[in-house]
Amino acid sequence: MASIAPPSPETSRRNLRTGAFAFAGALAMLGLGYASVPLYRLFCQVTGFGGTTMSATESDAARAAAAATGQKISIRFDATTAMGMPWTFRPTQATDTVTIGERDIATYTARNDSAQAITGMATFNVEPEQAGKYFNKIQCFCFTEQTLQPGQEVTMPVLYFVDPAMLDDPNMKGVEQITLSYTFHRAEDPVNPAPTRSN
Amino acid sequence: MATTAEGFDIHDHGHDAHDHADHKPGFFARWFMSTNHKDIGTMYLIFAIIAGIVGGAISGIMRVELAEPGIQYLQWWAQFMGGGNDLNTALHMWNVFITAHGLIMVFFMVMPAMIGGFGNWFVPLMIGAPDMAFPRMNNVSFWLTVAGFISLLFSLFVPGGTGPGAGTGWTVYAPLSTSGSVGPAVDFAIFSLHLAGAGSILGATNFITTIFNMRAPGMTLHKMPLFVWSVLVTAFLLLLALPVLAAAITMLLTDRNFGTTFFNPAGGGDPVLYQHLFWFFGHPEVYIMILPGFGMISQIVATFSKKPVFGYLGMAYAMVAIGVVGFIVWAHHMYTVGLDVNTKMYFTAATMVIAVPTGVKIFSWIATMWGGSISFKSPMVWSMGFIFLFTVGGVTGVVLANGGIDDNLHDTYYVVAHFHYVLSMGAVFSMFAGFYYWFPKMSGRMHSELLSHLHFWTFFVGVNVIFFPQHFLGMQGMPRRYPDYAEAFTFWHQISTYGYYIMAGSMIFFFVNILYALVAGKKAEANPWGEGATTLEWTLPSPPPYHQFETLPVITDAHDYHDHRPATA
Amino acid sequence: MKKAILAAIAAGLAAFAPVSVSAQVAAPAAPVVTEAPAATPAAAAPADDVAAPAAATDAAGGYTPMAPTKGKGMPTSFEEDAAKSLTFQDQYSDNGEYALWMHDVILMPVITVISLLVLGLLLYVVVRFNRRRNPVASKTTHNTLIEVVWTIVPVIILVIIAVPSITLLARQYETPPADAVTIKATGYQWYWGYTYPDHGDFEVVSNMLDEAAALKAGEPHQLAVDKRMVVPAGVPLRIQTTASDVIHAFAVPSLWFKMDAVPGRLNEKLLTIKEPGVYYGQCSELCGARHGYMPIVIEALPPAEFAAWVKEQGGSMPGEEAAAAAPAPAAEAAPEAAPAT
Repeated sequence: MASIAPPSPETSRRNLRTGAFAFAGALAMLGLGYASVPLYRLFCQVTGFGGTTMSATESDAARAAAAATGQKISIRFDATTAMGMPWTFRPTQATDTVTIGERDIATYTARNDSAQAITGMATFNVEPEQAGKYFNKIQCFCFTEQTLQPGQEVTMPVLYFVDPAMLDDPNMKGVEQITLSYTFHRAEDPVNPAPTRSN
Repeated sequence: MATTAEGFDIHDHGHDAHDHADHKPGFFARWFMSTNHKDIGTMYLIFAIIAGIVGGAISGIMRVELAEPGIQYLQWWAQFMGGGNDLNTALHMWNVFITAHGLIMVFFMVMPAMIGGFGNWFVPLMIGAPDMAFPRMNNVSFWLTVAGFISLLFSLFVPGGTGPGAGTGWTVYAPLSTSGSVGPAVDFAIFSLHLAGAGSILGATNFITTIFNMRAPGMTLHKMPLFVWSVLVTAFLLLLALPVLAAAITMLLTDRNFGTTFFNPAGGGDPVLYQHLFWFFGHPEVYIMILPGFGMISQIVATFSKKPVFGYLGMAYAMVAIGVVGFIVWAHHMYTVGLDVNTKMYFTAATMVIAVPTGVKIFSWIATMWGGSISFKSPMVWSMGFIFLFTVGGVTGVVLANGGIDDNLHDTYYVVAHFHYVLSMGAVFSMFAGFYYWFPKMSGRMHSELLSHLHFWTFFVGVNVIFFPQHFLGMQGMPRRYPDYAEAFTFWHQISTYGYYIMAGSMIFFFVNILYALVAGKKAEANPWGEGATTLEWTLPSPPPYHQFETLPVITDAHDYHDHRPATA
Repeated sequence: MKKAILAAIAAGLAAFAPVSVSAQVAAPAAPVVTEAPAATPAAAAPADDVAAPAAATDAAGGYTPMAPTKGKGMPTSFEEDAAKSLTFQDQYSDNGEYALWMHDVILMPVITVISLLVLGLLLYVVVRFNRRRNPVASKTTHNTLIEVVWTIVPVIILVIIAVPSITLLARQYETPPADAVTIKATGYQWYWGYTYPDHGDFEVVSNMLDEAAALKAGEPHQLAVDKRMVVPAGVPLRIQTTASDVIHAFAVPSLWFKMDAVPGRLNEKLLTIKEPGVYYGQCSELCGARHGYMPIVIEALPPAEFAAWVKEQGGSMPGEEAAAAAPAPAAEAAPEAAPAT
């Protein structure tokens, strides 16, 4: 290859250094791209972003109960099954009125309608989204995978409380009902969960 | 000006040096193993034109299909591409076309032309460098881009779920792109983005190094022509944004093939996170596509007004500001995804801020012309067209920036109209302006002013007839990415399709013009544009020697930053 | 305005007229079920096969799908009304009217003036500073005052825009009251399912009508569906969206309403439709081959008629289950359906 007289060794060195810096910047951004997955999850878990609920301990619950003022709020329970999930999944009751700060228990029922054992994993969020920060779960079936045998029906509890701190948050003003939503997904074979319908 | 060139180019080496400078390697070595920035620039431009023809032809298929309600030709295309004869495959073909059109135009037309083509050609020339900092890496960048294009074209003919090809939209949202599209087509499309992205990252590294280290003596950052500034800012955007895309689509790939669940809710992933990552790349990407255009327009407006750029520093730092703010507004592409009120308010406010530096640029261009002695050569008319049409696209962007208004307009034809005004008219007009501006320099031949003006006017009418009615369609509720529509949308769709015919016809002038210039064009002088052209490339002959600036030009303080040449001997 | 008042009166009258409602619901006389067997999505008929005209819903019942009104809740063609085809559809929600006002009164004039200003300046420059009129170019490269002006003035304009913009957002994010009528719209490839969790949790599966069926039913094709999402007019609705497979978006232009349906999460928004009518919308997030073939039709009815429709679907109004044997279920339904103020 015919090439012009190469740049002086000094320029080459400088170029390599600058190029290496730039490339390192690109690599850092690549790393940030992957890191965003756990970081985003953490961010949601801490701030309640996107309606992510909080998980709480018994002692958190006790503290919240102590701060309860007796005010009530309505909670709606929603259940969805994702495509390829042959379960019937429902809340036992659609809505409930609870005292803010006091722990309450809600139940969902799930039945495996298929002829094989199926493991399910639930995702969840609350609406309105700003309520995520104040919706605390002490115990939830959504923390672990659930396996149901063919035809098996189970009742699954959620132990939760609504943090009385919500009463001081201007963003929560006017919120009369919080919806707690669960979607059950089939945990196995996540790549191709179900054949696409052809019609 | 020509004398100036010889003044430093030849220096004491005399005739021999000139020969050496023009010594070219054989055909294969020159074009396939090229390390010469001008050759690589030329290849990028030819590549971009080819990709533009493919992408433009696809938009033709789409506009013809949309000329009336119902599905007219998609079934035929489905069979042509090797798919079935049923309606679903036909409809899938539509999604394949919109996807291919978007990806080709963004990654294989605009970016290669602006950065690869004009950037490679003129950044070294404008800063007085003999070549790019890493000439061999430059070659690798180009061929990676070509490989990416081939991978994308290949994806069109392999199964992609409901039919052949990837029908995910250029955004490749999960889970449509993961569990929703079975078959290798989407993998090839993603791989194509990997290749093009890798090429661009290498290119960006190269530009940053070149601009930081290879400037001629005396060419301080604040003396660089604005086009170089624009490429510098663009290179930084590429460097910071593209790796995030690479990460996101790699995760898509492993979600698709290796059972990971980054974006799959069944394994605790979140499809919304993909959108955040995509748009964290995607919004800077739109500035990547337009900033070099800003730079070119600045050069051209100054040249043909015979006046230095008004507010040089403001112009340079407006681009920096646009680049910086471009990284913190991404979620305005996701207003309807389920953001909370505070997030939406923040992104509304931040997005509107971008209008300020953009306004500074528009007004500074006009101020550059103000008091000038303007000659309306072809690059200038394209630039003036750019300024007006980019303004129209910009103000509809202000409308869309309002999260509450976007609740209606999101994913409608209004958005389509908006981004085509800033890209298909903004970016494309600036590319044609740059092309006509630098064609004499690159080829050594003058193109026909008459044909370029005809090209301008017909193209101007054509694109406006295509895209202006799309605002109406969007406001009436016509969603984007639809192959079929309710009767009520027919009229404006028809008009839009007529516009496409005008636009396509106008491209004849462009191609005839190139042929004419190459075959019978007048020989171009070193500086065909006169005293307004004050950047270094005009001090070299047209076309410049194969190797230039063997002795570096020295920029002295004789001029301030609006003359980028060495003091005349 | 007048229309809105009329609608409110109509809604109010309907709410206080349980007699007509019970007359309608008396006919089926089916026992009220606590959990209606929901139509499972998997069993939904593929869109191709849906040829049954919407009118043939229930021979016995009172509900017949409302005939759409031209130009209301649907796009208007250029031929019908050129001026109307250039802008937004008429709005039938308060937030929609506010947003439309903001667009028409603030945004549109601002962007028009800016575009014309730039065009005017360009034309002036062309005329005044061309080579012949102005052979010698000035050398001006700075003018601090003007540079400050064209930075500050846009900022002021943006602040002026931001005020109603933020107000609009705040209004759009008002949360639904606890007793709002809840409807959950689930996006499937490629149809919608509407679940009424407070009305017996039944699901209405809504497929697009093909062109022939739509024309037969007197509806715009590509927009018409076999089963509509029926809601009460004039009362707050809690619209929730989710999806079963890929992301869809629930959008109705004449209500200024658009919300993505994302698998694995639920989105929620308040919607109050001002008056009865048929409002068409379309899926607005690319969801695969038939993305353009899963329209949305909201039919807003006076609350009492809504209650009757719920009965026909085998559902019940809230609070009814407990008193399944009670003689006048509609009487209990009435207060629920009354417009919340």
